[in-house]
Amino acid sequence: MTHAVKAENLTKKFGEFVAVDHINFEVQQGEVFGFLGPNGAGKTTTTRMLTGISTPTEGNAEIMGYNIQTQAFQAKEQLGVVTDLSNVYNELTAWENLIFTAKLYGVPKGARAERAQELLEKFGLFDVKNESVSDFSGGMKRRLTIAMALVNDAKVLFLDEPTAALDVQSVRIIRRLIRELNATGTTIFLTTHNMNEANELCDRVAIINQGKIGVIDTPENLKQTIERVHSLEVIFADQRPSLVDDLKTLQAVHEIKKIGEKVRLYTLNPPAAFSDLFDFIVQHDERILSINTLSPSLEDVFLELTGESIVERPKQGKRGSKAGGR
Amino acid sequence: MSNNSGIFERFKKESSRAWAIGWKDIRAYYISPPTLMFGVLFPFALFFTFTVGRNLSIDEMLPVLFSQTVFWASSTVGPVVIPLERRMKTFDRYLSAPMSLMSVILGKSLAGIFFGLLVSILPLIVGFALFQVSIVSIVPFLLGIILSCVAFAAMGIMFASFPTKSVGNIMMPLNFVRIPLLFISGIFIPISTLPPLGQALAVISPLTHTLILIRQGMGVETNTLPMEASIFALLVTSVIFLYVSKQFHEINRKRE
Repeated sequence: MTHAVKAENLTKKFGEFVAVDHINFEVQQGEVFGFLGPNGAGKTTTTRMLTGISTPTEGNAEIMGYNIQTQAFQAKEQLGVVTDLSNVYNELTAWENLIFTAKLYGVPKGARAERAQELLEKFGLFDVKNESVSDFSGGMKRRLTIAMALVNDAKVLFLDEPTAALDVQSVRIIRRLIRELNATGTTIFLTTHNMNEANELCDRVAIINQGKIGVIDTPENLKQTIERVHSLEVIFADQRPSLVDDLKTLQAVHEIKKIGEKVRLYTLNPPAAFSDLFDFIVQHDERILSINTLSPSLEDVFLELTGESIVERPKQGKRGSKAGGR
Repeated sequence: MSNNSGIFERFKKESSRAWAIGWKDIRAYYISPPTLMFGVLFPFALFFTFTVGRNLSIDEMLPVLFSQTVFWASSTVGPVVIPLERRMKTFDRYLSAPMSLMSVILGKSLAGIFFGLLVSILPLIVGFALFQVSIVSIVPFLLGIILSCVAFAAMGIMFASFPTKSVGNIMMPLNFVRIPLLFISGIFIPISTLPPLGQALAVISPLTHTLILIRQGMGVETNTLPMEASIFALLVTSVIFLYVSKQFHEINRKRE
């Protein structure tokens, strides 16, 4: 079966600065593929190359088997693109924005109005369809941007930080929609630095840092690769100052962090750590309000792979540089 | 046969999408302040600045007014729209849409072409209503206006290919070229009175050919080039401007 998205040695240089460095990956049809990385890692630059907005310095990209450079027309007919900014036409109404996008993607004249109405209703914008977009809130503009990307029933949908800086209601609508679209066979390429979002939505994730892909795997497999971050999270009734020092006597715990009223005990051996903790509670006559065992999160994996102190690469100047970013 | 129908289908798709861009720009940007200022107020203000008190006949003044309005109006829309769309990242929409870069550029030019045509109607109405202007030869007159709208819209798009998000960054170099063109194209100073270098530059200025064709259409005596030469000159400059625009945009895509 043809891959939905394929990147081969994809590279982007801005002068001497290598923003994306010979990356390779394939996204299967029907997959939700997460593309994770810190700011300046090369996520948006990669997305811009994959969608034909920017020309790669080296390498190739394919969308549903069509080369984005040499078969651009056919490749772009398969695409829906949501860029990192809500790039709607503020001078037009929501309705006009959708109809214009439908024309750009060659939606037949008879189907445009029906499709526009369906999308506006789905995104809760139908009541304001004739209002100028310049009066919309950030969340409404974001929803309209996504609606515009869906107007042509794209086979592959690129979403660059779709839920960033949105209210809870809009985030829920968008995440639900991603699941619904994926259930109908749409391939989703989701660029995000929200680990929970990637964990919740993605079949596989790629982690990119400083222009290179560190790893590609399922969220669960990635989490299992780092054992050190199993932990017990405990809330003691007595929040005395010496508590953390006292807990340092636990043999199976190698790191202790106080996070608000919670104490997090990191361990390589959770059963042993639990046993040590139980002894500690009995010995010190502690009263416990809650105990939770925590598995490694995708965020832990991310930090493990990209380094605890993330290197945010500076954005380059106009003439040489990373486009995008927020 | 199927290859021909494939090409025809593709041409139909590209044209309809280019038209969609043009129509959207007309809807969205015609009444924006920079468009009105540089496209409407500026040519009329300049016209009155250089004609009032010079004791010119209406036959001499109206071709200048027509040429000026076509020149300024057509070349203004692209430089206003494209930087704004770059700032809002709406320009990226065209680059990721299934259409060629040339169709995007032609679509963007359409708004300038129609704006030029629209604004040039104003002096025509004034001429007919107040001065009983008559068009002696309709072909050079119409071709002069239409081809000039295409050439100057393309010129505006070419300048707007400079990758900036500020309208001012485009308008400054554009005006740096537009204003001198007024002085070497016979608009304010007769070409015959220019020094030899000025006269040579006048021949390659598209605005000279606009004025020649409009003067011929209005029956104002002009002992310069034949109509065919001016039509050819405007067509060639249009193609050059569009080609250069496309090349600039290709470079931008590599650098951005």
